[in-house]
Amino acid sequence: MTPDVFLFWFLALLIIGSGLAVLLFTNPIYSALSLAMTMVGVAAIFITLHAYFIAGVQLIVYAGAVMVLFVMVLMLFDIKAEIQAFSSGKISGAIKLISVGLLSGLIVGGIIMGQKSFVGELSKDAVQVAEAQKVKKSTSPDAATKELGMVLFSKHIFGFEALGVLLTVIAVGTVALARSRGGTHHAK
Amino acid sequence: MDHSILMAILLLSPFVGFLINGVRYKQPTYKISGGIATAAVFISFICSVLLFSDLVGMPADQRKIHVKFFEWLNVDKFKVDAAFYIDQISGIMILIITGVGTLIHLFSTEYMHHDKGVTKYFAYLNLFIFNMLILVLGDSLLTMFVGWEGVGLCSYLLIGFWFTDKDKAAAGMKAFITNRVGDAAFLLGMFILFSTFGTLNIQEINGLAPTTVETSWMGALTLGTMFLFIGATGKSAQIPLYVWLPDAMAGPTPVSALIHAATMVTAGIYMIVRLNPIFIMTPNTMLVIAIIGALTALMAASIGITQWDIKKVLAYSTVSQLGYMFLAVGVGAFGAGLFHVMTHAFFKALMFLGSGSVIHAMHEEQDIRKMGGLKKYMPITHWTFFLGWLAIIGIPPFAGFFSKDEILWLSFHSPMGHPVLWAVGVVSAGMTAFYMTRLMCLTFWGKSRVPKSVHPHESPAMMTIPLIVLAVLSVVGGWIGIPEVIGHTFGHIPNYLGEWLAPVVRPIPNLAEADHSLEWALMGTSLGVASISAFISYHFYVKSPEIPGKIANSIKPVYELVFKKYLVDELYFKTIINPLVEVSRKVWYYIDVNFIDKITYVLADLIKGGGGVTRSLQTGNVQIYAMYIAIGLVIALSVIIIK
Amino acid sequence: MQNNFFTDISLNHYLVLSSILFVIGMAGVLLRRNVIVILMCVELMLNAVNISFIAFSKYTQNVDGQIMVFFVMTIAAAEAAVGLALAVTIFKRFKEVNIKFFEHLRG
Repeated sequence: MTPDVFLFWFLALLIIGSGLAVLLFTNPIYSALSLAMTMVGVAAIFITLHAYFIAGVQLIVYAGAVMVLFVMVLMLFDIKAEIQAFSSGKISGAIKLISVGLLSGLIVGGIIMGQKSFVGELSKDAVQVAEAQKVKKSTSPDAATKELGMVLFSKHIFGFEALGVLLTVIAVGTVALARSRGGTHHAK
Repeated sequence: MDHSILMAILLLSPFVGFLINGVRYKQPTYKISGGIATAAVFISFICSVLLFSDLVGMPADQRKIHVKFFEWLNVDKFKVDAAFYIDQISGIMILIITGVGTLIHLFSTEYMHHDKGVTKYFAYLNLFIFNMLILVLGDSLLTMFVGWEGVGLCSYLLIGFWFTDKDKAAAGMKAFITNRVGDAAFLLGMFILFSTFGTLNIQEINGLAPTTVETSWMGALTLGTMFLFIGATGKSAQIPLYVWLPDAMAGPTPVSALIHAATMVTAGIYMIVRLNPIFIMTPNTMLVIAIIGALTALMAASIGITQWDIKKVLAYSTVSQLGYMFLAVGVGAFGAGLFHVMTHAFFKALMFLGSGSVIHAMHEEQDIRKMGGLKKYMPITHWTFFLGWLAIIGIPPFAGFFSKDEILWLSFHSPMGHPVLWAVGVVSAGMTAFYMTRLMCLTFWGKSRVPKSVHPHESPAMMTIPLIVLAVLSVVGGWIGIPEVIGHTFGHIPNYLGEWLAPVVRPIPNLAEADHSLEWALMGTSLGVASISAFISYHFYVKSPEIPGKIANSIKPVYELVFKKYLVDELYFKTIINPLVEVSRKVWYYIDVNFIDKITYVLADLIKGGGGVTRSLQTGNVQIYAMYIAIGLVIALSVIIIK
Repeated sequence: MQNNFFTDISLNHYLVLSSILFVIGMAGVLLRRNVIVILMCVELMLNAVNISFIAFSKYTQNVDGQIMVFFVMTIAAAEAAVGLALAVTIFKRFKEVNIKFFEHLRG
């Protein structure tokens, strides 16, 4: 078993396990911590896929900022345990589980059915091409990040700028929403 | 000036007047509204004069002005253009319409000065002139029909002008519905003509007229012309569709003058004169026209003798004179018919306006039993009315004499005529003289029966000037059509009208050479009959007023029948209208209320129920909604994968 | 079968992983009661999609996938911020974060 393969299976099990943990823990703080673990696992998966920059961003933004935010808010609420963690209604609950299961089955089935025509060949090709072009498109962190940066700032510059505006708006909006006097109402 | 510009101004000037007065219809400013309306029609009159003079300047066989504005309909083989055509016939008509129209507008300005709806009135009047011009100038039967319907609409609007009074509103409805029946017949006639000739363009139809007479009663052309004639009876108030015209007196008097004397009611005759090449080839229709015309003349004159309302007398007089015009075209004397249209426009409009002046002075009183001796209070009205009276009873050299005499002569002499028709015409002429003299006596002459509270006075200038102008026309109007027999005698005065119309009016087939002595004899007979009737009437109503009452009492049942207009209205109600209303009511109840409404209720309840069921899907629980999304996703994916 | 499936890591593996994570996240949205936990499960779904994008990006040698993930991540973070601000406001007003009490949109 090559390291890549082992890494993949290990990380896959880690991610799925902690994802299930998010779902199943009744204490919301435990859920939050499981989510953080999932994020880290996903970052590792990104590294195995040679997306180094994105992995870094994932760690910084998600695991670093978003999870902290979640945990902070949970601490603000000061809830120790849920009286009732899961929605009531046996029938609706059953329907939900069944539909979710069916969905997963369908997606996986769809993927596997499509493998012969598209993905299988592509993976072999990709490996060959990657090996052939080891000189040109190296998968070292610097080269990959440089390529990402070039495309981001030339082809998708508009989106990038729009994103900046979006973040500004979000920041302002969030502050306005959560003001102590309750949002955007004026003080009496 | 260019013909198309003149034609456009001619047609659009009254329409613009309608629009301007229409948007300000609530203002009671009679001077401004009347001024705008009169100016609009006067501009049309100037254009008519200019176009007519252009027409005069053209050589006799090319007297046509044809202006096409745009192509209106072009479907497969059916082409109709928005095009207008002036020839000898329509040239005269537009002069009459706009000229007499201007005078009547001027009169109305003063007559309607206290009415709050005066601007609306003038808007309607202008719209009427516009539609009437379209009627006479349209070069296709369909364009003419547009004008035909339009004048019917304006007639309804103007008759029921004071619609808050139920009877007046009902009179308007009666006019419109009766007209509609006629219009249906007109449409059928148009369908038949189109299927026969393939076109509705009047000139083309006239050009395609057959050269041999159609003798069968069921021939296509006969049926077509018959239906067109029935349409004409609706518009021009002949038997059986005349019943609306006496009721139409509910409208303002100038309306009666314009629409029901001078212009709209002549539309039927105009249509027949325009299409004379095909009418003259269907002798069966012509026979029917002549008979109906004569009968109507007789019947209406007899009713006119008994009426006490000044306007009703004039209304029945109009129906009777229209009968004469139809008699004329029925025997093939199209030129004579048109001539009588013209002279009748002058003297009847004059008399209606005169009666308006009288009614105005009598503070809206219309019963002639309460009038009398008005001669000394209203001299101008009296003398102009006097001239109109002389014209209508047919005294030479006034206008009515020449036209009426030509009709009577040709109804005797034409191979399509008959001495019986002539006799009926003469009797009607006698009755006309009788009741018109009766009207003069009871209104203007004799002892005054005016109630003490009423102080009659002469009308102001805006009302008397049109009267004077029309009186002058009633005097001289006949001199353009002096028949040959008189013209020869008095030194070669030509029959201007006859020569003018000759290129477009087919001559009566097989017309024998006129026997002058016979013509003089007949002329003398009718003149004698008219004079004697007038004299008898004068004797009855001025000298010995108790005689008419005694005569009426001695033939009381007959008198009652005639006074009640031969109970024709009652007959129509009993046989046609009431059954129709009953059937409609039953249909409404059984089908509409019980069936159709029930269907809508059932549908509505179904939908409400369905809505109630689907409402239960909205639980408010967001997770349930998300579940719906998940289910939908599952279904969509399975559909994709199965495919 | 054993050889091919467990030793050859192809695009399919990553896609299956992504879909399983996605479905877990959806189950969480449908089943959990706490508003904050629901938001966390939404983040889980977004992460699953990110994995899928990066996998495609690697196996088609096209760097646009990573850029897409860049954008998604930013927006997801922003959305989490706003969602949490709303949750805080709701908590302040109603003193509850159990969505059982927020069924005001019923018909």
